[in-house]
Amino acid sequence: MTTYNQLAGYRVNYLGSDPTLNTGNEGQVWYNSTTGTLRSLVQLKAWSAGSNMSTARTALAGCGTQTAGLAFGGVTTVNTNATEEYSGYTWSAGGNLNTIRRDLAGAGIQTAGIAFGGRNPNPTNLTATEKYDGTSWTSSGNLGTARRSLAGAGIQTAGLAFGGVTTTQVANTESFNGSTWTAGGNMNTARNSLGGAGTQTAGLGFGGFSTVTTNITELYNGSTWTTGGTMNTARYNLGGAGIQTAGIGFGGYTTANVANTEEYDGSVWVTSTNLTTARRELANAGTRSAALGAGGYTTAVSSATEEFNSTIYSPATGAWASGGNMGTATISGSGAGTQTAALAFGGSTGSPSSGTRSAVTQKYDGTSWTSTGNLGSAVYANAGAGTQTAAVNFGGSTAPTVRSAVTEKFNGSTWTTSGNMNSGRQALTGLGTQTAAIGAGGYASSGPPYSVDALSESFNGTSWTTGNNLNTARYYLAGCGTQTSGLVFGGAPPASGLSNTESYNGTSWTATGTLNTARRNLAGSGTQTAALAAGGSNPSVVSNTELFDGTSWVSNPPMTTARTALRSGSQSPNSVSVVFGGTTATAITSATEEWSGPQTTATASTLTTS
Amino acid sequence: MALFIYGTAENTGKGFFTAEDRRNFFLRGFPGDVWVIGNNEKGALWLAEKNGVEKTKAEAQAIVDAEVAKAQAAYDALPEDQKNRPGFNQRPTAITLP
Repeated sequence: MTTYNQLAGYRVNYLGSDPTLNTGNEGQVWYNSTTGTLRSLVQLKAWSAGSNMSTARTALAGCGTQTAGLAFGGVTTVNTNATEEYSGYTWSAGGNLNTIRRDLAGAGIQTAGIAFGGRNPNPTNLTATEKYDGTSWTSSGNLGTARRSLAGAGIQTAGLAFGGVTTTQVANTESFNGSTWTAGGNMNTARNSLGGAGTQTAGLGFGGFSTVTTNITELYNGSTWTTGGTMNTARYNLGGAGIQTAGIGFGGYTTANVANTEEYDGSVWVTSTNLTTARRELANAGTRSAALGAGGYTTAVSSATEEFNSTIYSPATGAWASGGNMGTATISGSGAGTQTAALAFGGSTGSPSSGTRSAVTQKYDGTSWTSTGNLGSAVYANAGAGTQTAAVNFGGSTAPTVRSAVTEKFNGSTWTTSGNMNSGRQALTGLGTQTAAIGAGGYASSGPPYSVDALSESFNGTSWTTGNNLNTARYYLAGCGTQTSGLVFGGAPPASGLSNTESYNGTSWTATGTLNTARRNLAGSGTQTAALAAGGSNPSVVSNTELFDGTSWVSNPPMTTARTALRSGSQSPNSVSVVFGGTTATAITSATEEWSGPQTTATASTLTTS
Repeated sequence: MALFIYGTAENTGKGFFTAEDRRNFFLRGFPGDVWVIGNNEKGALWLAEKNGVEKTKAEAQAIVDAEVAKAQAAYDALPEDQKNRPGFNQRPTAITLP
């Protein structure tokens, strides 16, 4: 009898439980002696129908994600400037492009997209570039080379355009910095109507039409293109999504429309599940494991949307879960620690101007809150840093018109006074540890009018030293990271909030990628290269969640309940964080929410004979 | 089929909603313990398991409106020097449920 070992080259392992699943287990079979079942890791991939677009069209562009997509431009029976936003459920109308066009390219996300190139009805190839802010498009710096049927990748502040047609196929590459385009290294194969994915410094171009229909793949490193593995099906006018090491190409045209889907791992293209409907010139967005295709041309212009999902290795989206309610609800206090060992201290238990400052300190163990030793001084709009057993509190308002410079240190049960800050102020942010903290921003005036500080001070566990100022003075900002690798973001004024983010290297502050949603009174946690921003107000109370990777912020699923003046376990990594307290649109809340970041999961299946 | 279910339920803390719940259905909390829930089997089951009370959209909106009105009245009663301070002390604005 032929054995599985002979067939597949592996023995069927006899295991007491399923192994830790990873890509190496894909396709393997093992016997689970506990459940008495044959088990395997089988990857399930499928395209499924989403809601139709409002405007059927082809030769459009897209960007964003499967649950926050953007489609714009194209041609119905005439060229269009229509924009539509996809929620993962339905399409809704967005602001129109300023320049009507087709055969354009796009990049970025739903709230920070870019459209570039294409052709107008004349027809004339275009250099026009526009930026989308989630509501409307505004013109930006033109491409150096007018062209159509080009590919795009990257984000609004770091975009990439490559290939296309002028009067002939071109290999030109251009990089966008948020306002202007700069020429980069040419592709090795000039072509148009190719698929594009990746980032400005790790781009991916595949397929297209040179002088023939091609299957060539090229990889960009920010300056030069190198050849990668060829696609299994040469084609052009295809869709593309993902990144350089996890890309996906779908649909397109050979001698007819095709539904073929292929996945790329940075080296090899592997055939995957076909689109439900063969088509070309469609909009594309998303990732290799969660891609989006919309519109295009089948036997007519199409409004159909399809979503690709890979169920085994599709990353689970980040999500918030409820945590234990605080014993004492407070607003605008400070927090420290982690999701399973957090600390909340200070704040206000009532109207922040009515004198209800609090000295209450509470500990969270991942399930419930308990009271511990009070601060020496009741304070709100204070800042803090450190852990549940080694925290530091500083600044804040201890009485009307009093901006405190007082510093207190916590040892897990009691607070003791330490050296004062050089500048008493409130609504600042804190980051770092008990022995190496930073206090930044805030305001010291009694107002109104209220001045705003850019001050930054560092604490060594005993005393404070004034450092270099923030580039943008602000209060009610958030911060995280360490004294030598810090990050601050958001804040006010204006009341509509700031999106500015600054990183700190222990000496100076440098502006970096901005929040997608400007806001103040937000919570922050994590590190300089892996931060979380949650909630706040602008001035409406918001629930937005964003994750920072050291370069840019990416929108993630929102908190369940919008709130502002909340705080966090600031030492929490951005993959496992916790926020608590604050106020909803109408009332102070004791609610806690726990964040689980995006993750890749694998699930084994039981094999049956049916 | 309607996109959402509307209901009221008290947030009892840990376990009231899980990350898995959030991945399985739309869920947003609003003033007055009002919850807007994705209209699928798991969403409907969640509201039932939380001893929630299903409301029509109009009923849920009325609860939220009443909470906002109460908060606005409290704000309006503040002394002028306590209004529009830096940060969070702003007059609550109307909320429209999705």
